[in-house]
Amino acid sequence: MMQWWCSASGRPWTWEPQYYPGVWAMVAVLAIAFHVLARRARAMGERRLVFWAGWSAVGLVWQVLDWPVGPLAAGYLASAHAVQFVSLALVAPPLLLLAVRRPLAEALPDTGRAWRVLRCVTQPVIAGGLFTLVAVATHVPAVIDALMPTQVGAFAIDAAWLAGGVVLWWPVVAGVPARGWFSVPVRMLYLFLSTLVHTGIAMVMLVRDFPMYGIYELAPPWPAWSPLEDQRLAGGVMELAGAAVIFGIITVMFFRWTGGVAGEGAPAAPPRD
Amino acid sequence: MDVAISISLMPLTRLLVPCAAVWLAASCGEPAPRHGVALEPALPRPSFTLTDTRGAPFAFGRETRGRLTFLFFGYTNCPDVCPVHVANVATVLHTLPFADQRQARFVFVTTDPSRDSPDVLRRWLDHFDTSFIGLRGDEAEVARIMGTIGLPPAVRGVAGRDGRYEVGHPATVIVFTADDSAHVLYPFGTRQMDWAEDIPRLLRVGRP
Repeated sequence: MMQWWCSASGRPWTWEPQYYPGVWAMVAVLAIAFHVLARRARAMGERRLVFWAGWSAVGLVWQVLDWPVGPLAAGYLASAHAVQFVSLALVAPPLLLLAVRRPLAEALPDTGRAWRVLRCVTQPVIAGGLFTLVAVATHVPAVIDALMPTQVGAFAIDAAWLAGGVVLWWPVVAGVPARGWFSVPVRMLYLFLSTLVHTGIAMVMLVRDFPMYGIYELAPPWPAWSPLEDQRLAGGVMELAGAAVIFGIITVMFFRWTGGVAGEGAPAAPPRD
Repeated sequence: MDVAISISLMPLTRLLVPCAAVWLAASCGEPAPRHGVALEPALPRPSFTLTDTRGAPFAFGRETRGRLTFLFFGYTNCPDVCPVHVANVATVLHTLPFADQRQARFVFVTTDPSRDSPDVLRRWLDHFDTSFIGLRGDEAEVARIMGTIGLPPAVRGVAGRDGRYEVGHPATVIVFTADDSAHVLYPFGTRQMDWAEDIPRLLRVGRP
């Protein structure tokens, strides 16, 4: 039976490709939205490199949601799920936002309810808090074990990670509305604090004596490693890959800032506040 | 047994846990297991003789008397339940002190003797623990033994075009304690953390 989204099936893993129309539809919507905004960004003189980065992000989202990573993450390997988390929440959102921040700023209304919601949600404290809430809630064993066997639940987790990532990175990358106090050093501090979330989750995964997630522990066995080894691998992926992404960006921001070109790290979008 | 079905049974298991705990605590005055499904009345340790992976007769009742014994009926080609169940018990046993490990026996009776030759059975069990005991017998004899324990017989599924088939079997580990009785059984869905909590308690049941 065809599934529209990857969820835990309980069947033994097979390398026979599976098809997930829901994933294709979501990626198509993302690609079309990105294409439209990227065209406007190109007209605004945005650098070619950021479009490559943005399309890479679209491709990354597709790869981690579709077969084989998607179903592996949904019902077999916590480590694949960690790859999904890092990709959807920490890697893809900044790349997407970087390319389209200017037309996005232009497209946003500067009054009304949507603007008030945007102002509120992208407050760094609130954005960081929301991301923390999403990251922690979607790693609680009871939540994972309850949601991953259903397609709607698995979709909700994947969508929450992507949305949470956009919220986390928006104040740093998009910078709309402009906030004077949110300078480059404060942004670096904000990103550093955001690492505490996945570091904490990763540490729990690394130090536990037994598998945390029933969905992976009781899944048909993966021949290469045990559920506990898989969980530790997941913790390692979250810790190392997550830290590499965030500290890599912090490093770039630091050198740009100390190199006297802090403006490059600041939002290119026009101030709207 | 499909894993998804088994997982959906977990809440039922959780509901039955307090029953097992309360019953055992009340009747024995001993540390009660917190998980699994209580057997009331307790199941006496059965006596039967099958052939082990060396080809020697293995008298289950005599060889395991007074020891914590995990008895499981399954087959090595099982794609999901058997390897997960056996691996979970093995993983937790490996975390116990050596003296406690020596007290425990894991006995795996194959429900698919035509494919589970002694060598196949031994190699498969060695993936989990070299001390695990593998037993074989003809299908009728194994079905009779399962019947005496109150388990339904294994059922061979229809073979596919490649000749492969599955075997339906109870996905339950029966645990006999030192008093030579099984007070609780553990269905598929029992987690390693559940075993880790219960095995030390089970080791003390029936001991002075």
